[in-house]
Amino acid sequence: MDIVLPQLGLFFWTALLFLVTFFILKKFAWKPIIKGLKDREEGIENSLLEAKKAREEMSNLKSENEQLLRDARQERDKMIQEANRMRDEILAEAREKAQEAAGKELDKAKQQIDAEKKAALAEIKNTAGGLAVEVAEKLLRKHFQQPAEQKSFAEKLIADLSNN
Amino acid sequence: MKINKSLFLVILGLFLASAASAQDDHSHGNEPFTAGEFKAGETMLHHVLDTHNWHITDYPVGKNEKGERLYKALEIPLPWLFYSSEYGMQFYLSTEKLLASGHYEVHHEKVYHKGEHDHGHDEHADESHDEHSDEAHDEHTEAEHAHGQGKIYDFSPTKTVVQMILILGILIWVMTRVAKGYKKNVGRAPKGIQSFIEPVILFVRDEIARPYLGEKSARFLPYLLTLFFFIWFSNLFGIMPFNSNIMGNISITFTLALFTFFIVQFNGTKDYWQHIFAMPGVPKPLWLLITPIELFGVFTKPIALMIRLFANIAAGHFMILALVSLIFIMGKGGESLGGALGIMPLSVAFTIFIFCLEVIVGAVQAYVFVLLTAVFLGQALAKHDHH
Repeated sequence: MDIVLPQLGLFFWTALLFLVTFFILKKFAWKPIIKGLKDREEGIENSLLEAKKAREEMSNLKSENEQLLRDARQERDKMIQEANRMRDEILAEAREKAQEAAGKELDKAKQQIDAEKKAALAEIKNTAGGLAVEVAEKLLRKHFQQPAEQKSFAEKLIADLSNN
Repeated sequence: MKINKSLFLVILGLFLASAASAQDDHSHGNEPFTAGEFKAGETMLHHVLDTHNWHITDYPVGKNEKGERLYKALEIPLPWLFYSSEYGMQFYLSTEKLLASGHYEVHHEKVYHKGEHDHGHDEHADESHDEHSDEAHDEHTEAEHAHGQGKIYDFSPTKTVVQMILILGILIWVMTRVAKGYKKNVGRAPKGIQSFIEPVILFVRDEIARPYLGEKSARFLPYLLTLFFFIWFSNLFGIMPFNSNIMGNISITFTLALFTFFIVQFNGTKDYWQHIFAMPGVPKPLWLLITPIELFGVFTKPIALMIRLFANIAAGHFMILALVSLIFIMGKGGESLGGALGIMPLSVAFTIFIFCLEVIVGAVQAYVFVLLTAVFLGQALAKHDHH
């Protein structure tokens, strides 16, 4: 019945050889293999996650781009409107200012013309007065060269005075 | 019609490396021997048991004076290494040299001091010893040794040991190559032998280690992997021609089961021992009943592991041997060619069937052994919180 009886020698060899193999395999085979498997699995998982993230980012970017485009369009419209408004404003203002300036110039011109006119009139008056006085002096001088006439005038003056 | 039995012996030898002649004697020297009567039981047992030589086949060397065919064994002698209480450590290169020393005799692959073997049952004189006399002989020699006569502890690197070294060497070679693949193909798909072994490693990790050991699986994975591949490779080699079937040897399965036993006990948690010696939730008087049963279970688990693996693999081998032996039985020791040829197709067909079955059984038994190791370990590691 040798077949069902464990033998010391074989037990010894099996234990020894199994242990030696176990430690060799553990160090030189299982460790790198298990690590390699783990690394690969983690790598695959990471790549999948990254791919998912990239896809999400892509879609985010796309919607962001669309948003940007929409915003840009709005901005452009707004800017155009603004520009139009500003142009109108500036034009209106310019027109107003021009009108104002023109009015002022006109006033000034009128005033000047008035003043010139007044000065001219005054000079005319002065000149005319002087001329009249000279003429009158000359006339008077000629008129009053006869003492009779001097005497009648004096009398008339006195009469005027006495009438008052 | 007389068939050429040597042809069959050669065929049998080629396919199963069997000691077809079942002669215990022929390994003791270079003397030619006669085939004798074919005894299937002996042949099968002889084939499965461990030997101190690597028998390849027998070949015919002519006839003796009685006209019987003579054969010689083609075999590689293996060394003897043993401790003798009388002569100390002993080493001989072959059985021939051992016998030539004059101090020892060898019977049934066992070495005895000269004159200490029971000669009353000398099976050399009478080749037709049956199992009964074998048992009687064993009992007798045990009794003899118990009386304080010379003791011998045999540590010879026998056929099984050589086969094991071969398998473990191949295992190391294969696995280090696989490991190299992981360094070379970083971040790439496995290549070559790596892609063949990787699914098996993943299977052990994902289907055996992780479900039963959970977060502690990484610690025990190297042991489970070594165990699985050792058993599996051994079983694959065991069904190949010229190889010995080492998992069909109870000493091997005993050792592996013992490792599992120690690993389980050394890693047992407080809960594990509490469940054995003081089962919670059970009235104390019942402990008297439960504790012996639980304690019994601690030992029956590895014993079941040992017997299951050994019996499955040995049985498969016996089946193949029995089917092949049918040819020799029907051939009536080389006298009936018709009988041999008649049974051959059936025998070969069934042998091929059993052979294929053995390929599956070899993997399944490796799986079962490792799975149960993981289950027992998982039970020992478990922390219960129901009390």
